[in-house]
Amino acid sequence: MSTLKEILTRRPVAATIRLTVPAGGARPAPPVGPALGQYRLNLMAFCKDFNARTQKYKPDTPMAVTITAFKDSTFEFIVKSPSVTWYLKKAAGIESGSSRPGHVMATTLSVRHIYEIAKIKQSDPYCQYMSLESICKSIIGTANTMGIKVVNELD
Amino acid sequence: MSLRHIFKHLTLTSSYGFSTLSHRFIHAPLTLLFTNINPKTQPLIPAETSLPFSHGYTSVTEPQASTLLCPYISVRIQCQKEIADMFSEALMCFGASSTTVDEDNNCDTSKELCIESIFPESEDVDVCISQAADSLGLKEIPSYEVKTGEQYDWIKKTQESFDSIEVTEGLWIVPEWKTPPDVQAMNIILNPGLAFGTGEHPTTRLCLLLLQRLIEGGERFLDYGTGSGILSIAALKFGASLSVGIDIDPLAITSARQNAALNNIGPEKLQLRLVSGNTSSPSIDEQKYDENQSLCEPVVESESEKYDVIIANILLNPLLELADDIVSRAKPGAAIGLSGILSDQLPDIIDRYSPLLDNISVSEMDNWACLSGTKKIILSGS
Repeated sequence: MSTLKEILTRRPVAATIRLTVPAGGARPAPPVGPALGQYRLNLMAFCKDFNARTQKYKPDTPMAVTITAFKDSTFEFIVKSPSVTWYLKKAAGIESGSSRPGHVMATTLSVRHIYEIAKIKQSDPYCQYMSLESICKSIIGTANTMGIKVVNELD
Repeated sequence: MSLRHIFKHLTLTSSYGFSTLSHRFIHAPLTLLFTNINPKTQPLIPAETSLPFSHGYTSVTEPQASTLLCPYISVRIQCQKEIADMFSEALMCFGASSTTVDEDNNCDTSKELCIESIFPESEDVDVCISQAADSLGLKEIPSYEVKTGEQYDWIKKTQESFDSIEVTEGLWIVPEWKTPPDVQAMNIILNPGLAFGTGEHPTTRLCLLLLQRLIEGGERFLDYGTGSGILSIAALKFGASLSVGIDIDPLAITSARQNAALNNIGPEKLQLRLVSGNTSSPSIDEQKYDENQSLCEPVVESESEKYDVIIANILLNPLLELADDIVSRAKPGAAIGLSGILSDQLPDIIDRYSPLLDNISVSEMDNWACLSGTKKIILSGS
């Protein structure tokens, strides 16, 4: 998918860093600090950039961010929306999924919840090409593995 | 049980969705399904049960200094190249705060890769690693060594990378430990420490350029969200009569004070105040910082103390929430500059500030924007 020009000017990668940072709450403290500081990346620039980009999320939702650090101390990063399981847990108001999914049901959610979650997920870089319906189906699949049942109407 | 087996198998195939773009279309749906899924995932932050969607989690970070200096556990894990990616994801699920995969030794001679992972001090590293290995179906737990991280190591390392920057002709920002390249120009000596504002970021530059245009001499300047104090110091150098910097972060105030001293600016010309933000509880701040900060009082200003120029370089949400506060501190007709916003966040800011400001103009750099305007002489309604 990359153009020839991109390949030729590709900078050598020093490391790939994965972090979980609360939205709008990136600070130079651990975990951000040590992880990025090791590669001499500009911490404050990352914090500012990350905080600006996650402004539209509720504060302190844990965002997964993948940073590609290049050898010349520059970096790029991708912010992914919180995991589907996190959204499901919040929507259902539970702390963890059921211990025996398939056998023991933890809770139920309505299709409206699934639809809302799917809408948020659609803006994720990896899902933009998927139809809303297929995103919903995969969310329902995730819910099943957590022991959350999806019903048409919550009574 | 079979479900878990399938989960392990599919994670194997789906993980490559992250690393190779060409496989994106095939594997991404599976990745979506199975990323970070495990019924036993420990929530990374304390969750409040039965929360409706509209309310976020309580703030994770304790008062700034304590999280900053708290020790962390750093673990170096050796594992095979093929599973490194998935293993890092699994580690994140089970409690690691970050994982780093070094690409340096990516040569074909060794099949092993090093993952460096950071855990908060309270985590049980052994349990976490064994759970992660278990969820991937690894036959044995990869070898790893644990060490406690030294707090100041990484602070020093980031500081090493700062260099002198020429923001515009005749204005340089020089780190404390370097000599100014051009002694004739206006040099601001800075030790950014842990606060924002080294002069490199586009928003800082935009604000500095705006300041240069706005300050003609003798103005009272307010730096709303001062960070390292760079804008307040620059304003004084451009000719302002008084700079006041406020911030909710005590580390920023300490940084700014140091920087003022570096530039030989006394406290009568540059006043720094710590104000309580909405999210942090004032009592904790004052308890910890009363000894160091004598300027902790709430800011109540009379009419004569309003400012001629205000610049707020923060973030979108604070700018929207504090719009009234920012504008109320300005004299009518005063110039107000706002930054720290991405270009696509501009419409929101313009909507919020158009009833308050006249002559709104926007400058952009690198996808960041800076908005400037003058306070309306007569505000409708207020």
